[in-house]
Amino acid sequence: MSQDISVSFAPHIRKPLSTQRIMLDVIIGLVPVMIAAGVYFRFRGLLLIGICVIWCLALEWLCNVVRRKPSSLWDLSAVVTGIILALSLPPGLPLWAAAIGSGVAIIVGKMVFGGLGANVFNPAMVGRAFLTVSFGMLMTAWTVPATLDPDLPPVEPTNIQDVRTQATPLAWSKMAIKDENGAKIYNERQFLPTITGNIAGSLGETSVIAILIGGIYLLVRRTIDFHIPLAVFLSAFVFAGVAYLIDSDAFVQPFYHLTSGALLFGAFFIATDPVTAPLTRRGMWLFGLGVGALTLLIRIVGEYPEGFMFAVLLMNGVTPLIDRLFRRVPVGGKPRVA
Amino acid sequence: MIMFTKDSRSFAGGVHPPESKHLTEGKAIESGPLAKELAIHLSQHIGAIAKPAVKKGDTVQDGQKVGECDAFVCAPVHTPVAGKVKNVALQPHAVLGRGKAVIVEGQSETPPAVPSFVRPADFDPATWTPGQICDAVREAGIVGMGGAGFPTSVKIQPDPKKPREVLLINGCECEPYITCDYRIMLEWTEQIITGIQLAQQACGASTVAIAIEDNKPKAIEQMNATLNRLGLADQIRVVSMATKYPQGGERQLIRAVLRKVVPTGGIPPMIGVVVTNVATAAAVAHAVVDGRPLTHRVVTVSGEGIANPGNYYVPIGTPVQALIDHCGGMRDDCAKVVMGGPMMGLAIADMSTPITKTSGAVTFLSKTQVAGEDGQWRETPCIRCGRCLQACPENLNPTRIAHAVRNSLMDKAEGYYISACIECGCCSYVCPANIDLTGYIKTGKIHLARQRKKMPA
Repeated sequence: MSQDISVSFAPHIRKPLSTQRIMLDVIIGLVPVMIAAGVYFRFRGLLLIGICVIWCLALEWLCNVVRRKPSSLWDLSAVVTGIILALSLPPGLPLWAAAIGSGVAIIVGKMVFGGLGANVFNPAMVGRAFLTVSFGMLMTAWTVPATLDPDLPPVEPTNIQDVRTQATPLAWSKMAIKDENGAKIYNERQFLPTITGNIAGSLGETSVIAILIGGIYLLVRRTIDFHIPLAVFLSAFVFAGVAYLIDSDAFVQPFYHLTSGALLFGAFFIATDPVTAPLTRRGMWLFGLGVGALTLLIRIVGEYPEGFMFAVLLMNGVTPLIDRLFRRVPVGGKPRVA
Repeated sequence: MIMFTKDSRSFAGGVHPPESKHLTEGKAIESGPLAKELAIHLSQHIGAIAKPAVKKGDTVQDGQKVGECDAFVCAPVHTPVAGKVKNVALQPHAVLGRGKAVIVEGQSETPPAVPSFVRPADFDPATWTPGQICDAVREAGIVGMGGAGFPTSVKIQPDPKKPREVLLINGCECEPYITCDYRIMLEWTEQIITGIQLAQQACGASTVAIAIEDNKPKAIEQMNATLNRLGLADQIRVVSMATKYPQGGERQLIRAVLRKVVPTGGIPPMIGVVVTNVATAAAVAHAVVDGRPLTHRVVTVSGEGIANPGNYYVPIGTPVQALIDHCGGMRDDCAKVVMGGPMMGLAIADMSTPITKTSGAVTFLSKTQVAGEDGQWRETPCIRCGRCLQACPENLNPTRIAHAVRNSLMDKAEGYYISACIECGCCSYVCPANIDLTGYIKTGKIHLARQRKKMPA
């Protein structure tokens, strides 16, 4: 033979789609959210994103070296983890804390399991959970957006009392429970800022518009399926609606639960992480319903004003069970002889 | 009477690979190359391997039977040319790797002419009894020419226990590149219809439909026009199918057209359906009306890796090398030669591999198609994206099966119903991590078969 002919199993052609391309799409989907973070929290927000991404990449590289594995930086999943972690942090968080969070996310959240595809929990949420339990004060000091107060000193443990902070909409609504008119005032005042994002909160969660643009991009590109986000919204809305019907003075309107907090951002970008979500469509529905319900359970009944992170981590933990529950059966039914 | 579904003639799952049929769909069937030596395999079908009916040194006439068998599920083989039997020996085989074949050295100098079929003016399928048709089909060695190669006589044999109610003629041709069935539908329309009538007469089906994908509007139009002209439009219906791979898989086809499900591990006759390819129907007409055995077939030679693609009428037993030479040779960037289409075809390394009754195409793929733009395709970790689950037309969980096989957990693979896989290749096609899911599943099936043999129940 004059030519190199290879043989292999069929099929011999492949769809031009790679893991790298999927991750790149997620990053593109996150761009509007990052822009919003830049607009509302200025350089501080972008710095936080940059630090998280760099640390995630560096630690993934280090883990690969230690494990004597080929570099996996090309798949861009560490970049996605870094961005999502950064966007879930309070804008005023000290950079050293962000670096610690990145380290926990990559090392404990991902690489100890064997890298991409093997992790049980969403790495970014593992990192954030670690920060939440370790640095509770820092993780709940919500500096106001630069659009409201351009003179923003960075938060440090030493000056945490001096920085101008603001309660997040959810924290506010939580306080409103204790105050009869609180919910009413909240309902009147907070609607527009939660849509545009001109309000205190984590870097990426505040702007509904930016999140929707990014989320719709992912849906159009078919990078994510609509099932999980829709299930999250539905169950959260129903749960919040029930609470609102029971006591409309103490609880905010269900709509606000969708626009404020990490629910919207997480439903599109965190809960849809394919590695930690179920494989089957039915499983996705159950997973999304669980995330929405647990989030609202924590928000309304629990002590934390926000519960999305814990909801996702809990549902990540039961994903293998969900997959087992909805095992697929062949079109032609189960074979008669196994 | 079975109701046809009205609109969405499709099934759940499947993929849309580039069709790439433009290379050959406009090219009429031409006579193919004349190879000096033809290797006629004794196993070109599912079932018992035929035994050689001739020996080394024998002189054979064209159309003479060179292999036969008494088994029920089997088909005899015939030589397409007159000549001398040079040997009966092992030859490369696209499916089996190696198989016994009768090697005939031809005497003829003229390349095989594309035959013309004349439908008798007063054609009436009732002239033949079902038994006569089945015998003629068996004698002619006709097998399913779509790829599987199940003996047609067995398929169309009437079964008093389970009457054949529906006869589905498969003209979907969902594999990319292949256009042999399309050209047959355009050029041999009357012959196909004659064959369909004979098959219907044999199996006694009350409903007959021809299923054609809607990316072949000319074939649909031609088929309808011919049926109208022959006054058969009320008996045989043309069904337009959504263009999707694997629409031509018989399980998918039955689902899409009849909304019926073939049980896992079962075959269509179990639910009273017979599926036959258009090329097979054409061969039936030749066999019954003219008494001609199946010795030639139309082969699409296509792909980015061959100089002059086309559709050729080729004697069975012709080596692939003869087709390559006939079509102007391989291009420099050709990296894979596939017997069949790119989704389910078998890659071959030996260009002396002969054409069999089931080889509808030889596809020559270029390097970028086989290994990606940078030639660096490699397997990366599964990210559990679930694209393989959505693509699977049989509602399986390909990634789980593949990972079970990779870790030698065969009982787990069986728990995910590995045996229900039809090996269509959709999962591998869509996998962003480039995991050869279909390959793992095929390997797993082989492992399982070996285990069973070693450990009898």
